[in-house]
Amino acid sequence: MAATDNPLLSDRDVEFVLYEMLAAADLCRLPAFRDHGRETFDPYVQQARRFAREVLYPAYRPMDESPARLEGSGVVVHPRMKELWPQMVGLGVIAATRPAAVGGASLPLTVATAANAYLMAANLSAYCYAGLTTGAAHLIEAFGDAHLKTTWMPRLYSGEWTGTMALTEPQAGSSLTDVATRATPRPDGTYAIRGSKIFISGGDHDLTPNLIHMTLARLDGAPAGIKGVSLFAVPKKREEKGALVPNDVHVTGLIHKIGWRGLPSLALGFGDAGDCRGWLVGEPNKGISYMFQMMNEARIMVGLNGVATALVAYHESLAYARMRPQGRPLLSKDPTRPQVPIVAHADVRRMLLRQKAICEGGLALVAFTAKQADLAAHEVDVEARRRAGLFLDLLTPVAKSFPAEWGFESNALALQIHGGYGYSSEQLPEAWLRDQKLNSIHEGTTGIHGMDLLGRKVVANGGEPLRILLEEIAKTCARAEAAGVDRAWVDRLREAAEQTAGLVMHLGALGMSGDVDGMMRHSTHFLMLFSILVVSWLWLWQATLAKEGLAEAGADAAFYEGKLCAAQYWIATELPRVDALAALCRSNDDSFARMQDAWF
Amino acid sequence: MKILVPLKRVSDPDNANKIKVGAGKVETTGLEWKPNPFDEYAVETALRLTENGTNAKARLGEVTVVTFGPKETETTLRAALATGADKAIRVDTTDDAIDGDLLARALKALVEREKPDLVLLGKQQVDGDANQVAQLLAEYLGWPQATFAGQITSEADKALLVSREVDGGSIKLRVTLPAVVSVDLRIVNAVGVTSMHTPPTHKYSDGVRFAALMAIMAAKKKSLTEVKLTDLSPDTALKIKYTGFDLPPARKAGVKIKTVAELVQKLKTEAKVL
Repeated sequence: MAATDNPLLSDRDVEFVLYEMLAAADLCRLPAFRDHGRETFDPYVQQARRFAREVLYPAYRPMDESPARLEGSGVVVHPRMKELWPQMVGLGVIAATRPAAVGGASLPLTVATAANAYLMAANLSAYCYAGLTTGAAHLIEAFGDAHLKTTWMPRLYSGEWTGTMALTEPQAGSSLTDVATRATPRPDGTYAIRGSKIFISGGDHDLTPNLIHMTLARLDGAPAGIKGVSLFAVPKKREEKGALVPNDVHVTGLIHKIGWRGLPSLALGFGDAGDCRGWLVGEPNKGISYMFQMMNEARIMVGLNGVATALVAYHESLAYARMRPQGRPLLSKDPTRPQVPIVAHADVRRMLLRQKAICEGGLALVAFTAKQADLAAHEVDVEARRRAGLFLDLLTPVAKSFPAEWGFESNALALQIHGGYGYSSEQLPEAWLRDQKLNSIHEGTTGIHGMDLLGRKVVANGGEPLRILLEEIAKTCARAEAAGVDRAWVDRLREAAEQTAGLVMHLGALGMSGDVDGMMRHSTHFLMLFSILVVSWLWLWQATLAKEGLAEAGADAAFYEGKLCAAQYWIATELPRVDALAALCRSNDDSFARMQDAWF
Repeated sequence: MKILVPLKRVSDPDNANKIKVGAGKVETTGLEWKPNPFDEYAVETALRLTENGTNAKARLGEVTVVTFGPKETETTLRAALATGADKAIRVDTTDDAIDGDLLARALKALVEREKPDLVLLGKQQVDGDANQVAQLLAEYLGWPQATFAGQITSEADKALLVSREVDGGSIKLRVTLPAVVSVDLRIVNAVGVTSMHTPPTHKYSDGVRFAALMAIMAAKKKSLTEVKLTDLSPDTALKIKYTGFDLPPARKAGVKIKTVAELVQKLKTEAKVL
């Protein structure tokens, strides 16, 4: 029952995002969510919050200090993890957002996002055993045959077993085109699987009696490249005569990671003895398209990993800054006066406010994107549903990358505020900094998402997704003016939106004219520009709600004033970067393009 | 076994309490509310006594939770239903209209109506800290009582062996049912409750259980009835009247003392403790 002083997230901010910003309770008008309302949302978020603070968080440091070990042929997880798993499963985390037909609770992803943020902030590794299992089970739910749906899927959703994503191979990381694992049909309808996978998170453990690896492999005779990759469910142990027997899946190595140390990452060998069986999921050669259909949710999850990891560190540094006495006010150097807590220094507040702007902007971003996922899947109105789907696709690369990139900076600031103590492993900020780094690498690197955003998303459907964003920005600007938000903030956002629209036209025209290199050269810079624009919009929106909130009697003034300061900070310091980045993208600066390998 | 658990929402102890000068009460608008922690321990105890811990979903008894308060306190009851309680009763009233004695008299009437084998309560509320209701209720019912239970062993659902937390150790009492028992913090340890239904090898997690999402949804459909306070106790006169509330006076700054002689002097003349 050891409670923590670190709140992980601000409960008030979670309430603000869910209800004041996203009107989450309105989702219950949709048939999919009709069994829900605030009377189920609030208690569930409260349970997740309490579990995160009282149970998951106290286990974070021990699990970071002694990672999972390879003993003999298998992985032994930290003993605390064995206590956490049944409790986390018991909360209903794994199948929360899945329909009742598969044993789920049909919870909107928007609300699950709030609940999961607490779990991730408390103990990212522990949460991810569940997150990966949801992903694996969802793949079977969406594309598996009746056999897989009745045998393995329920065991995943119930947490009896866990699941993994076995995509990456030593020669095929970002480039899944090069997957080389083979699948050979067997007379009984299963497939003999043979190959090597690497960086498989949760790929072996002693937490549950079995695991299912959702594995990409190539059927014999399949076309070369991405269109010859199929998806298989490959169990660690298969059932024979009612018993679980080894399925010739072996741990060939355990990665010594710098973060996420509670969750083992493994190299796995499939079929070294010629006795590994896989079950085809869906149709042959469609593996990648199946994975793509799951990717929005996986990427929203990684975005939330980033936000949560930044948030827990932000709150740690905030508490530290309020407690740590050091120095005196600038104009009061009297050494006989007591020192002041460092939060009294404006530059420390700068670092705290930057973290707040990144973290709370990131939470709003991921939660908003999750809401688009809910609407894209469950909205009844066909047009609104289509629109949400386009918006979701556009925002996904931002929701995935912004928390990872800006979150890393936020985590570094949390460490900075701790000074010399922050640079020691006695304090936790260094651990969260290590954890955060993975989020710009897995589930598509930042570079990949830059290409995805510029090459596919903003130019999709003749630019319709971008138009949707611009319309939303225009609406927010109008509401901000009506609410009395500083006119200069509104104008700046309008200008940045126009500038971005113009830039997309320009780059799109380059692409159309065949100059793909000219269009795509600065795709990562474009992703940065676009992320800043989107998050600035979300901050103007929050500032608007804060103004409206302050106008009401008995308002939560401190909370709303804090929102206004963070919005002002973001618009004053970050939004202007859009100018420079837009100029860079337009100029087609060729410094790194013409730089040659030999010149480094 | 049928168990009745009275519970109450209290203002979050982390709130900064606001005192309206001269108002004779604590300002409650804008406060965060949470269930009284000792009441949550009582619910957890009741659940452990009425289940097999290895298969907690199959109920082997009945736990009724009751609260006294306005409509919005039903949130507290639903939360208890979500953790496993079977039904709930809300006695419609407000905090200002009840005190410990009226509560005990109303509970007595409710006990006569519901006929539980056991009334389990938190040892006290963390807002008023009065620690009276369990004792008064036992007296009014003429039932045996055991307060501050840190450990309970159920003996064939006929009697309870209760280890009470007292200064300097614990006292063991055997109470035959029906009885009134109030619980202390330690009751929710992994081995706080020993029930005949749960194998002795089973270890509970420390603390009160978490409500599963599915149980939160199912709790919406469980029975929650409303009763009027006057139906339970036509006499609603209060024995406790609050005359005023004030914040504790701010501490005065200390002084630095140079010599031992000066210290002794001050202890004699100012503090007057020597």
